Amino acid sequence: MANTYIDTLTAGLWKRIPPFRLVLGLCPALAVTMSAENGLGMGLATAFVVTLSNGAISALRNVIPSKVRIAAYIVIIATLVSIVEILMKAFFFQLSQQLGIYIPLIVVNCIVLGRAEGFAAKNPPLLSMIDGFSIGIGYALSLTLVGSLREIFGAGTWFGIAVLPASFEPMTFLVSAPGAFVTLGILLAVQNLFSRWRGEKFIQG
Amino acid sequence: MSEITRMVVVLSLIAGVCSAALTSANYLLEPYVNKQTDFFVRGPALERLFGKPAEEVLGNKVVVADENGEVPIFFMKDGDTVSRLAVETIGPGSYGGNLVIMVGIDLVDAKLTGMEAVSHSETPGLGARIEEDAFRRQWRGLPIDQPVAITTDGGVIDAISGASTTSRAAAAGTNVVLDFVRDKEDEIIKQIQAL
Repeated sequence: MANTYIDTLTAGLWKRIPPFRLVLGLCPALAVTMSAENGLGMGLATAFVVTLSNGAISALRNVIPSKVRIAAYIVIIATLVSIVEILMKAFFFQLSQQLGIYIPLIVVNCIVLGRAEGFAAKNPPLLSMIDGFSIGIGYALSLTLVGSLREIFGAGTWFGIAVLPASFEPMTFLVSAPGAFVTLGILLAVQNLFSRWRGEKFIQG
Repeated sequence: MSEITRMVVVLSLIAGVCSAALTSANYLLEPYVNKQTDFFVRGPALERLFGKPAEEVLGNKVVVADENGEVPIFFMKDGDTVSRLAVETIGPGSYGGNLVIMVGIDLVDAKLTGMEAVSHSETPGLGARIEEDAFRRQWRGLPIDQPVAITTDGGVIDAISGASTTSRAAAAGTNVVLDFVRDKEDEIIKQIQAL
């Protein structure tokens, strides 16, 4: 029993890490990762939403009629996202200005709905929350990684602190939109190569 | 209970609970949101108008009622006398949405200290250039007893090229503020001294 919890908790960090393994939630992963800070902020906001929405949906899984389950999930998720948005405006105003429209768009982030449908609808609340937390933290780590790479090589800074010598010419291409695709593509390729080298089976979902 | 009734009841209940949660979150956090908005939206404008850090001047605020609603006024004191005001208003007739501007007035020298765009949704590249200092600095030092107008209307303000509407709205907003301050100066000063 305890193993199930530990398995679920660690699954989000490697076995199911979004967006590399669970190729979902690519829109924010591409759009807001201009800097490590934005990536981390977006990732943590998503983690918060997916943890609580998994908990709430799992607790209500026997009450919600299956025909209207998606509508019910969306209402719950939208509420949580709006609360996150208000919280960010109240305490992290500048971050909320930078992330802009991508915070409300967490509602339609496939990770949140995917975990609700794929995990929370079949498992008890505590386990679902652990799953949401682990997937959310995995997502936050991935977005921070993508953001860090783009920021370090694209602007020469990390979390706003200069890390590369002034003689380094920043590749501004990386902080613009095409750089996001290239960075994510390379990371996906490295991840797949590594998995193949270890002889792991590709796990979907 | 039939299936349909159950669906309706469950969905309505979920929606109800969610609305309640949202309302309370909004209600509880509103003061914090307002504070942050003041600091990040009005703060930079006030810093430039008063030449002081926003933290020092944001608290110096009175709200004076007007026939069009409530007007937020920020002030700066020199000893006991009120030396400068910054009055927020909406520039009438702007191109898109509300053009919120703040007009700085030096009461001692009877001069304008500047005009700042606090928030706007003007066209990027045209009307949005109202944010640029090249346009805004024309307000500095103008006398407060004469209305402000753009050059095509016989005034001294060079309009932003391609954005006469926005420029005119900024000038009109300034005149609204000038009239307002002229009419209500005593009331404003009384409110400030009463703090």
